[in-house]
Amino acid sequence: MGIKKVGLNRNIKPQSLAEKVFFLDFMKGLKTTIKHLFRKVITVDFPYEVVEPAPRFRGVHGLRNVDGTEKNDFNAWVKKLKIKPPEKGETRCIACKFCQAACPVPEIFVIKAEKLDVPKDHPHHGLKVLTQFDMDLGKCMFCGLCTLACPTICIIHTDIYDISTYTRRGWILNKEQLSQIADDFIARRGKEKYDEKSEWPDYQKIWNDADTARAKAWDNNPPQFGPNYADQN
Amino acid sequence: MPWISEEKLNRLQEKFSFIKILDNPQAPVIEVPKENLIDFLKFLKEDPDYQFKMFIDWTVIDHGKKADPRFQGVLILMSPKSWERVIIKVWATDERLPSLITLWKGAKWAEREAWDMFGIKFDGHDNLVRMFLWETYPYHPLRKDFPVRGYEEVELPSLNETERFDQLEGTMNYSRKHTALPTLEDLEITQKARMPNKKSQMVLNWGPLHPGTHGTIWFLFDMEGEYIKDCDIIIGQLHRGVEKLAENLNVQQIIPYTDRMDYIAAINENHSVCIAAEKLLGIHEKIPEKAKYIRTMMAELSRINSHLLWLGTYALDLGALTMFLYTFREREKLMDIFEGITGARFTINYFRVGGVYADLPYGALDAIEHFIKDLPQRINEYETLLTRNRIWLKRNVDVCIIPEKDVYQYGLTGAVARASGVPYDLRKIDKYDAYGEVEFDIPVGEKGDSYDRYLVRMEEMRQSIRIVEQCIAKLRKFSKNDPFFYEPEDRRMKITIDGRGTKLKKGEVYAGADNPRGELGVYIYMPKDGIKPYRFRLRSGAFYNLQVFTKAIIGRPLADAITLLSTIDPVVGETDR
Ligand code: SF4
Ligand code: SF4
Repeated sequence: MGIKKVGLNRNIKPQSLAEKVFFLDFMKGLKTTIKHLFRKVITVDFPYEVVEPAPRFRGVHGLRNVDGTEKNDFNAWVKKLKIKPPEKGETRCIACKFCQAACPVPEIFVIKAEKLDVPKDHPHHGLKVLTQFDMDLGKCMFCGLCTLACPTICIIHTDIYDISTYTRRGWILNKEQLSQIADDFIARRGKEKYDEKSEWPDYQKIWNDADTARAKAWDNNPPQFGPNYADQN
Repeated sequence: MPWISEEKLNRLQEKFSFIKILDNPQAPVIEVPKENLIDFLKFLKEDPDYQFKMFIDWTVIDHGKKADPRFQGVLILMSPKSWERVIIKVWATDERLPSLITLWKGAKWAEREAWDMFGIKFDGHDNLVRMFLWETYPYHPLRKDFPVRGYEEVELPSLNETERFDQLEGTMNYSRKHTALPTLEDLEITQKARMPNKKSQMVLNWGPLHPGTHGTIWFLFDMEGEYIKDCDIIIGQLHRGVEKLAENLNVQQIIPYTDRMDYIAAINENHSVCIAAEKLLGIHEKIPEKAKYIRTMMAELSRINSHLLWLGTYALDLGALTMFLYTFREREKLMDIFEGITGARFTINYFRVGGVYADLPYGALDAIEHFIKDLPQRINEYETLLTRNRIWLKRNVDVCIIPEKDVYQYGLTGAVARASGVPYDLRKIDKYDAYGEVEFDIPVGEKGDSYDRYLVRMEEMRQSIRIVEQCIAKLRKFSKNDPFFYEPEDRRMKITIDGRGTKLKKGEVYAGADNPRGELGVYIYMPKDGIKPYRFRLRSGAFYNLQVFTKAIIGRPLADAITLLSTIDPVVGETDR
């Protein structure tokens, strides 16, 4: 077993007489702090300057709408759960409640789907639509299990972290609000996070390297990104 | 797996006819009758061949209302001679067990916790009061007949505050009732019960809300002038009942709850749960190599993160404000790395039973490399500021010495144990994940004073850098298509990334990881296959490490309390669970 012994007199020399008399320990310390005095500022001046969260950031949830980037098995799932095939711009949610099942706090969700009230000969007869999807984010711990469970990549995490409200009522988001949040997010940063089949691509970056605020926090010397693995490009 | 060997077990069986060796595939379990427990343990502790003298954990299982006897004590011991563990079980007839405080002083808090949570009485305990809850609380919440939501009996209408008559009608409404809350009288009774024989006129209260206590710890000091004569600690202000919650969740859902325990090193807490569940399922060796290296690397980065926070706040408490600013600058970069890879800066939930939930994003290894390249020089800077500074030496050298025997007596783990000269490190003993394949040294102190604890943690950061470098070099060689999550070959086994349907196996296991704050051990007991763990015990390193505070502070001036607390470095989320 590799053991390294540490201790005063073991790997640390005690103070010598010269150090004691001439306050050399303080001098050395001051030299370090004075060096730092001349370095560039690294403080990000929030809220005038904001660091953009990473693509994977787990913020407020959103419900994605159909926009042509669904997974290949999307239609199969729609059929299986007897949901009215959604048009472009309608929600991807098929009311399978997988998200609720995966969630450690299932009472966050209220999900309801109702049968369409159409005559028998209508092609949508007997099919359902999502009528209610409420989330109480006050109970959520942003663990991300719901987004991993969703078969249609409908429920997603966005990069919004500011959810303060005056009452608990403000944390309850309904279907429309959630869809709006997702739409905004996809328009803003969808390309960074998802590929054309809504999966996480391997070019998804650890964070946006064009972000100047983050570069500042990295001593104005941010890392240059390259591939992780030998066969990645 | 370092468990007691077959041969030693057989010899025990020959010598003591009353013991029963249970058939459990994951770990050897010995069942001992209650009457013979103390004698048997004395032998185990003192016999030169066995020397199971290190206390690890002492807890209780509730087998349900119908079982008779209903409760069972579980003791886990470690032998520092051969680094082997053993599990000992004993039935608690009449809801009573013999107290072990004559053998291990660390059993004191463990027994108080068992009394608090299960209502088991310990014969021979010197002051059996509650551990987390207040003295007048009427229930024992970890009993199986106590509901998860508790008994909602106090009215708290503020929960439903509304704005402009906006009524919270319908399903998302909060109940107006809340579970019991302590009143001021309750707290006074609690405080008196914790220190029944105080000597001085006045007991000095430090905390529960004091910046120096790093959380909500409430210290009681019985003083004689400047010097502390007696001390007790009231914790539990952050008690959320993670063990109770865990009994109603599947194992992947428990992981986000452990983020909220040691919130400074959330990755390491996740790690413990993953290792324990994987060992119970018997799949720990089969986890994909890539996942193993990613986990090892992340766990070490988390250790650096945690130690940086420790160093900053420790120096801040002793009056060096600059240090705090410097370490938080480095920590910020680490948080960025975590955010990019896992999706969260603090409550990370990245590890899964079976691997990790996603592969590394583009540029992750470069960012880590960039950070790691810079760090050794920064640590040297910190050391120039502190290590040989005369004030630092005066405040730390020979302050609050924890001798080696206290490590065994109190079950101390992590840097506190290593500073006292015990090279106890699960990374070397258990070799979980990729720790068997990377090279690193265990820093070991000599005296066990605060200065040694400081040096050990500083050296640990350097060793962590070494490990991370090796992990990066190894990870570079993998292909982007290599799996990062275990797919079971066995069709009956089901493990999913999102947790739905993940099943645990029958059996019992104790496993853990060496976390920055000591060993977080997880003991899972499953009487049959199932989704929810029947008993999910979290053996908190910070909890047992904090216990030694009450001893090491005796006879020291009050100012040393800050030094000692900072060098023990507990985090309240983990001590209280
Ligand atoms: S993030 Fe976690 S807690 Fe929040 S809704 Fe999703 S699964 Fe539930
Ligand atoms: S898992 Fe996805 S599709 Fe299913 S109910 Fe939840 S959001 Fe809708």
